[in-house]
Amino acid sequence: MSSLRSILVQVLRYVIYVGVYVLLVHRLVLFDLGWCFLYLGFLLFLPINTPIVMQLLLSFAMGLTIDIFYDTGGLHAAAAVGLGFVRPWVLRLLTPRDGYDSVDTVNVHQMGWQWFSVYLTLLVLLHHATFFLLELGSFRHLGLTGAKMLVSALFTSLTLLIVQLLFSPVRRGRQ
Amino acid sequence: MRNLFLFLFRFRGALVFALLEIISLYLFVTNSSYQRPAFFNSANAYAGLVLARRAQVTDYFHLAEMNQRLAAENASLRQQLYLPDTVGREADSVALPPARTDSLKRIRYRRPAARPDTLLLGLKRLPARDPSYPLIPARVINNMLHNVDNYLTLNVGSADGVRPGLGVVAADGVVGRVKVVSEHFATVTSLLHSRTSIASKIKRDGTFGTIRWLGDDPTHALLDNVLRETRLVKGDTVVTSGYNAVFPEGIFIGTIDSFVKESDKNFWTVRVRLSVNFTNLTHVYVVTSRFKAERDTVEARTGLKPEGGGPAR
Repeated sequence: MSSLRSILVQVLRYVIYVGVYVLLVHRLVLFDLGWCFLYLGFLLFLPINTPIVMQLLLSFAMGLTIDIFYDTGGLHAAAAVGLGFVRPWVLRLLTPRDGYDSVDTVNVHQMGWQWFSVYLTLLVLLHHATFFLLELGSFRHLGLTGAKMLVSALFTSLTLLIVQLLFSPVRRGRQ
Repeated sequence: MRNLFLFLFRFRGALVFALLEIISLYLFVTNSSYQRPAFFNSANAYAGLVLARRAQVTDYFHLAEMNQRLAAENASLRQQLYLPDTVGREADSVALPPARTDSLKRIRYRRPAARPDTLLLGLKRLPARDPSYPLIPARVINNMLHNVDNYLTLNVGSADGVRPGLGVVAADGVVGRVKVVSEHFATVTSLLHSRTSIASKIKRDGTFGTIRWLGDDPTHALLDNVLRETRLVKGDTVVTSGYNAVFPEGIFIGTIDSFVKESDKNFWTVRVRLSVNFTNLTHVYVVTSRFKAERDTVEARTGLKPEGGGPAR
């Protein structure tokens, strides 16, 4: 019963993240440089013990959905699958001294500011680097692309941080 | 055998990763080729529906601005219709010779259509109601500016007569060309696309060139292939040359903003300020160039381009 419930919760999260991104957030562009990849929140805040294959498939599905809306072929999908592959490595890198509890989720209140900011910055930067370099298809305009990466990473991370602060449970063990 | 399964299981993450990555890169690469239609795109019925709804809502917030623009466009059309002198005016009826069977030899009059049958698009009068070369009005429901390859989505599709490869023009000038068509939606490769290449000419002396987009600035493009011997003037008008049979000849693209000679090239580097403001594009028209099908066939038969059109020159 609880597994069914968690699947339903994930489906709901998927729909909400895609909906908000397509209808609202995609329009927000900072200084022609910064995009907010809000939909990454769905992938980044999946439960820590999600199986790797599941995680990759979800990343692919999420990326492809966004691609269909914005005619980018498989660009978002490629970057998102990359993110899904790297995420377990980063999680392992950041393992607390006594390992993860079974109830641990990616949550500012539970894991602490330091853990959370390193996790978010690392993954978002990696994703944006893949995304913008793939989009360009070459290493021309390196300065512009670098600026896009940094501003977008800042924008995305801040937005996801706000999402966390607003919507993640403070008490441990609720999901 | 057991070892093989163990191996596959142990590296399942990397294997699935590689598989999915290859699929998405394949989709990405086939999509960014200029001509080949991709399977997943926003002409898709469901995505099109969502985007159309979104356009309905956001339209509401731009009503005032949009009204102003349409009023300005109307004014300029009206100016075009009622010319200050009588030179360009069309008669409201045309005299025809008497019919052979008419013994009284009465002169007949025929009224041309009550509505104007040309529309001024990008400095060029285009026939608006010619059934074999339709001019299809469309609404932009999705628009991108800041990517390296930009696309638009329109709310017209094959049901309205749109076909892949047709040109798209706004009142101010060239916008792009249709890439994929579904029944009620169409995606358009914007002029702001890294593979854009539009055969064009300078209106003053007819020098030919090619319009490209460098991927950085949505208000400017590059006019390529202009020989260094050519004399250029700032502010010159650049129009389509009609060589690529996508756009009719003479449709406005932009004006020359600046030009430099680079030492290692045979051509001028000319920056063109685009006439179309891509940031607030709402109403566009899908156009055909006359005789396109026939011309494509004969050029394909000569071996000038592969069947189905090569690069857009």
